[in-house]
Amino acid sequence: MRNPNHSFLKCFWAVFYRECRRMCSRPIYFYCIIGAPLFCLIFFTSLMHQGLPHDLPIGVVDLDNSSNSRTIIRTLDAMDLLKVEEVYHSQSEARDAVQRNKIYGFISIPSGFSASLQAFRRPTVTYYTSYALLVPGSLTYGAMRKAVELVSGAAVRSQLLARGATENQALGFIQPIVIEPHATFNPTLNYSIYLCNTLIPGVMMLLISLMTVYSIGSEVKFNTARYWLEKGNHSILLSLGAKELPYTLAFFAIGFFCDYYLYGVMKFPSNGGFLPMLFLTLCMVLAAQALGIIFFSLIPTLRLALSMSCLWGVVSFSICGFTFPEIAMNGPVQALSYLFPLRHYYLIYASQTLDGNSMIYSWSSYMFLFIFILLPFIFMMRLKRELIHSFYIP
Amino acid sequence: MELKIIFHDEGVFIFCILVPLGYPLLYSYIYVTELMRDVPVTVIDDSKTALSREFIRNLDASQWIKVVGYSDNIPDARQHIKEQQTYGFFRIPSDFSNRIVKGEQVSVGLYSDMSAMLYYKGMFIGATDVSLDMNKKIKIERAGKATDEDEKMVVSPIKSREVALFNPQQGFASFLIPAILVLVIQQTLLLGIGMAGGTAAEKGEYSELVATSRRNRGTLHIIFGRAFAYFSIYAVQAAFMVCVVPKLFGLTQLSQGLDLMLFLIPYLLSCIFFSMALSILMRNREMSILVFVFTSVPLLFVSGISWPGSAVPPFWKGVSWLFPSTFGINGFVRINTMGATISQVAVEWRALWLQAVAYFVLAYMSCRTIIYRERRKDKTELREPFM
Repeated sequence: MRNPNHSFLKCFWAVFYRECRRMCSRPIYFYCIIGAPLFCLIFFTSLMHQGLPHDLPIGVVDLDNSSNSRTIIRTLDAMDLLKVEEVYHSQSEARDAVQRNKIYGFISIPSGFSASLQAFRRPTVTYYTSYALLVPGSLTYGAMRKAVELVSGAAVRSQLLARGATENQALGFIQPIVIEPHATFNPTLNYSIYLCNTLIPGVMMLLISLMTVYSIGSEVKFNTARYWLEKGNHSILLSLGAKELPYTLAFFAIGFFCDYYLYGVMKFPSNGGFLPMLFLTLCMVLAAQALGIIFFSLIPTLRLALSMSCLWGVVSFSICGFTFPEIAMNGPVQALSYLFPLRHYYLIYASQTLDGNSMIYSWSSYMFLFIFILLPFIFMMRLKRELIHSFYIP
Repeated sequence: MELKIIFHDEGVFIFCILVPLGYPLLYSYIYVTELMRDVPVTVIDDSKTALSREFIRNLDASQWIKVVGYSDNIPDARQHIKEQQTYGFFRIPSDFSNRIVKGEQVSVGLYSDMSAMLYYKGMFIGATDVSLDMNKKIKIERAGKATDEDEKMVVSPIKSREVALFNPQQGFASFLIPAILVLVIQQTLLLGIGMAGGTAAEKGEYSELVATSRRNRGTLHIIFGRAFAYFSIYAVQAAFMVCVVPKLFGLTQLSQGLDLMLFLIPYLLSCIFFSMALSILMRNREMSILVFVFTSVPLLFVSGISWPGSAVPPFWKGVSWLFPSTFGINGFVRINTMGATISQVAVEWRALWLQAVAYFVLAYMSCRTIIYRERRKDKTELREPFM
């Protein structure tokens, strides 16, 4: 079986070279390795280039038509976040506009607003918000409330100052306790920083494990698996290692470029230094490849293993907890999340790159990634058996 | 014939039958808790007075925040965040009570970990509610001395009130699941039909299509036949997603059954023809998985669900109009969650019909090309070995 005359390096090179040629032979490889990740990088960063969305369209139902109500409209329009799209004459009209997706919400100023204001009867304005779309819903609500507080506060302040109160006293009178928010390391609430840093590696991990499954599975499919093992001197470790190395290198290069683009060009916060980040990227690539190998060893049918990788890759976006936090999920889901490498990647990113903690604080997440990377070794013999004995069943 | 393929090909079966049934359940289960309650935080209480303790008690009582302990200083509080025991902290200044008693303004610092927006949002909403409540009490105590309406007027001349029109509890599942349901329909059709097309290309089974076309004299028959097969299966799937899943997990649904049905018909048709038109590009079975799966994430974002549609750059907006999911998600969410009627989503509805027609023409042309190619191949009796 094994030929002792073949040196390790020679075989390694032979398999490595063969795989590189395979990669160049079909456009699908270029599409998955270079095209798709770079597309997502450009897509997400340009889609969310505003950081925090501004000029969200809202409506005003002005039943008062006075200078006071127009002050409110002007103040709303002057807010960065908002743009007054239209002034409506009735609430049903405005509600209809919300349902037609013209505006995200509206504010209603009752008739007789000015008169009640002057008569000290404290009129009420009403915000109508919609949380069918969560982000614009909560953003417009916050901004509308702030605008009305500004109008109301300005009136009181001038009155108090006129009565001889100091600025400090006036503020203390209007709002004794205020909350002063500090959004650590992302002070402008930039959604791009918050989302891109996990979305892009997530897409990459999905593609990496798909490519890994495909690279092994296609050997079985085209009945070339035995030829491949022969080239690798019948050693599964050597064959597999040399086969996957070109992918590791290619994806690591793409990952490196993404890091450079996000933290170097876009200047996203990177407080943990460049080397730890590269190390994390490498771990990410290896863990995703390992996942692909595990899937194919367990389910040695190309399409089923690919479907499995898809399922894993797509679900990891939800289950890793960067949009909807882990601690709010059900117990079983929380336990399941440990099986998704993206979860660990996200935890390490948040601690190491965003908060700038030393790597020691994410040791448990690193440990899980290492377990993922080491797991395929258990399946090596099984994989070899499958490669030799299985035939492609269409 | 197509039905036979769907049920006999396990790959197509997975994507057209199992995934549309399973995914909605899985996603709903992940998000079933809806809300991020009780963000764990610590408090740095530099004031240590009755008032500051009252503030902390109120924070803890808020549904958004859970005070898990005290920290002595900022580094100590940060340490808790590093160890992932908490996701933020509050800092009450030492002159907290003094300033309130003197009638000056005092600010409480909120420091939030930004690894997830919902931590910040929860802390901010919780703390703002607490401060507004306490402000009211403080003002009433002061007004008690002044006793006149004039004074109250000065405190806040304009009252305000919020009415949440749709999804009032701000649930995460109610917001995201409808969009995912619609997207799953398109993506599984793309994968399933792409896979069937790839298999045919791989096995050279287009000849079978050609044979059918001779018997029935028409490409139209083939296209309508295949489309009808998928349509009948997906009509059931869509009914399951739209009626059963939301009931099962108690999601908001304000829609009229008829409007939903009217809206889903063009959506299904345009998805089916869209997938058929693209399936010609698939050279082998697995290709559709490699090509289409990753697009789910960008498509969800560009549809205006996660990221407001008004902030999507014009270029990407144009690109998004090529995909049925953009209009599908937009229209469906508004009918389902906001109770819009079919006339209010007329723009999307018409766009979907337009897409259905356009993609039908494309599918027709691609089918003709295949048949033409196969016939020529038959004539020369040249069979290329396929890779």
